[in-house]
Amino acid sequence: MKTTFISTQAISESTRLSIAKLQLKLAGAQKEVVTGRLADVGLSLGYKTGETVSLRQEYERIRTMIDTNGVVENRLELTQAALQAIVNAAQDFVGDLLAARSSDSGPALVKRQAEMALSGLLDKLNTASNDAYLFAGINTDVRPVTDYFQVPTPASRQSVADAFFTQFGITQSDPAVVNITAANMQTFLDTTFAGLFDAAAWAANWSSASDQNVRSRISTFELVETSTNANEAAIRKLASAFTMVADLGTENLNQSAFYALVDTAAQRAGEAVQELSVLQGTLGTVQERVSIAKETMSVQVDIIASHINLLEAVDPAEASTRVSTLLTQLESAYALTARLHQLSVLNYL
Amino acid sequence: MTLSAGLEVARSGLAVTAGQTAVVSRNVANVGNPLASRKIANVVTSPSGGVALASITRVTNQALFDNLLAATSASNAQQAIMAALDRLDQTINDPELDASPAALVGKLADAIQQYASGPHDGTRAQSAVMAASRLAQALNSATRTVQDVRAQADADIANSVERLNALLAQFETINTEIVKGTRAGADITDYLDARDRTLAAISEEVGVRTITRADNDMVVFTDSGVTLFETRARTVTFAPTLIYSATTVGNPVYVDGVPITGSGSMAIGTGRLTGLVSVRDDAAVTYQRQLDEIARGLIEIFAESDQSAVPALPDATGLFTWPGGPAVPPAGVVVDGLAGVIALAASVDPLQGGNPALLRDGGIAGPAYVYNTTGAAGFVDRLQEILDRFAEPRAFDPSSNIDPLATIGGFGAASAAWLQEARRSAAAEVEYRTTLLERSAEALSKETGVNLDEEMTRLLELERAYQASSKLISTIDTMLGSLIAAIR
Repeated sequence: MKTTFISTQAISESTRLSIAKLQLKLAGAQKEVVTGRLADVGLSLGYKTGETVSLRQEYERIRTMIDTNGVVENRLELTQAALQAIVNAAQDFVGDLLAARSSDSGPALVKRQAEMALSGLLDKLNTASNDAYLFAGINTDVRPVTDYFQVPTPASRQSVADAFFTQFGITQSDPAVVNITAANMQTFLDTTFAGLFDAAAWAANWSSASDQNVRSRISTFELVETSTNANEAAIRKLASAFTMVADLGTENLNQSAFYALVDTAAQRAGEAVQELSVLQGTLGTVQERVSIAKETMSVQVDIIASHINLLEAVDPAEASTRVSTLLTQLESAYALTARLHQLSVLNYL
Repeated sequence: MTLSAGLEVARSGLAVTAGQTAVVSRNVANVGNPLASRKIANVVTSPSGGVALASITRVTNQALFDNLLAATSASNAQQAIMAALDRLDQTINDPELDASPAALVGKLADAIQQYASGPHDGTRAQSAVMAASRLAQALNSATRTVQDVRAQADADIANSVERLNALLAQFETINTEIVKGTRAGADITDYLDARDRTLAAISEEVGVRTITRADNDMVVFTDSGVTLFETRARTVTFAPTLIYSATTVGNPVYVDGVPITGSGSMAIGTGRLTGLVSVRDDAAVTYQRQLDEIARGLIEIFAESDQSAVPALPDATGLFTWPGGPAVPPAGVVVDGLAGVIALAASVDPLQGGNPALLRDGGIAGPAYVYNTTGAAGFVDRLQEILDRFAEPRAFDPSSNIDPLATIGGFGAASAAWLQEARRSAAAEVEYRTTLLERSAEALSKETGVNLDEEMTRLLELERAYQASSKLISTIDTMLGSLIAAIR
């Protein structure tokens, strides 16, 4: 005869197993309460783990880009500041030239002013930030230009001296420069002297900078030029304007030749200022793109972070409720086990 | 009816009650034994009116027991898989730790982006090369982990086979006793319990089906139909492989020369052996392929091409290299074990006396491969090209079981997704199978197990019956005494 519907083993086994399961769940739930994240992210998310891994990659990538954009922004700002200083110097110089025309002590003074302006320009072109020269193109580790007035005489100054001597048969400091006619001076300035500042001669005698500008990735899809270089036409023109006043025997020229010189210098400097403002405009556009990219990316970072959170985080209130529910369940399971074990016919025999 | 007949019946009652009490005490002794069944003393009435203990049988339910065997096999297979996947998870861990190959690929791309923002800066170059070195090491160690998992599975298969042989030998002894006992009409219930226990243990290792023939003789087959036991135990053989590399192929398990693992028609479907073999030959192998493809993708991304005016040389390995270098591994085809041997080119690695700036300039493969011909410190074209390649989808071997066209970061993430999904479904399966096993065991235990309370009440009953029979004997004795006194 079969009368049993449950065995003693089955009764105790079922409470034992449910206690074990509750304890396992409790361990996970406690961890979730403490960390605020899923206890085992991979196990809970399954294939969606790929998404959080990708999002985390994306997050790091954008953060890096925001970081590197900071470097780019810094470089652009310094470049803009240097360009602005150059423009200011050029404008002052044009004013100085006009003043020099109507003053007796003009030539000597303006020569000194030109020398200082030229030194200032070269100095600005050698601005470095973060161990890299701003106006060097991609040749960031080489000083773009050498000081015109240094000893020994650099190639730049030598080339000017050679050209002057070839043209007029005398050196710039020779008092005989007073004999140079305005027409001859004008021809010299427009041809031979101008030739000293064309791209090839500039690269040979003046500049070690590269024509190639630094390109930076400012967002996932934008690869832009984020520097300028000392070989730009505007810079060369300005250098030629400064040099012609500074180093062509200005103090000894006769008046008409001096006027020819000053007028040409003023014209060149004026053109240079215009071209520099175009250059500033171009860089300004890049700056704006960088700042837009930065803004967009900081928004993206926030969105991605909240997505990661959405995937991996647990609601702390829900988790702690779960813990307390589990604790209650576990307590009742213990109580039940104790009661079941007391419940035996043996106690009544 | 005579008094002496009554006395005889009362005496047989005493004997039967004693026998039944013995059965009750056997049941009580087995109350904590999960697979012991409840024994029943079958009492028959003899023609003379007395009672006798005809036989002892046990409560059994073949259907529930078969369920239990199937559930045991299935849950053990899944548990073996789950344990191995948990070990493979070491290579990924919590996504927050950024320790997975995918995360390290991302970190390398970030380091290169940093380098591109300050290409003159030697520190950034070093940090990019260090990121690459960490990635190569992570791939190397992931490969070791995967191959360790395979070697461990192989060792476990060997242990499992050994246990299976021992259990089958034990089964043979018990089965022989049962057949003999059945023929002799002896009490074989304890042997039957022992045989069930052995069978349950066998079903942990391999899925089984059974047929019971005359004289309680049992024949055991694997779930695929290969005979494990018929009168004699069959021999299960397996040649273990001690050291695993990505190209190692493990041996199958044979029963009487028939392979029962792998893809053959006689391959078993459940049991720990199935799980272990599937880990060794399937899951771990696929995961290794994915790692190998990540390694191949990296070699491809950093490969350099001939920069001469008229390029004549083939592409060659750059920052990442492999024993087959400087040739670049063929596109779109997995190279087994590549992740285990991928390394940094010595000419770039500062720890090996290399120059990290070659990452910017090119020329790791030789002078013809120099990209930065002017030696400019701000040269970024090569770095930007590398970054572009990180963002380009590339072709991966479809045998890696994930989307064959993806960026390298995407492929890495998909690999993590593949592993975690495998873990999740294995965990769900383990939970389901375990619950099924618990329910089957509970159902069987309810049906065939011992209930202490019931045994105790039966004991009360038996006590009363014994008292009654004793009382009868003493009463009949008194009656016989009065009769004899009357005669005297």
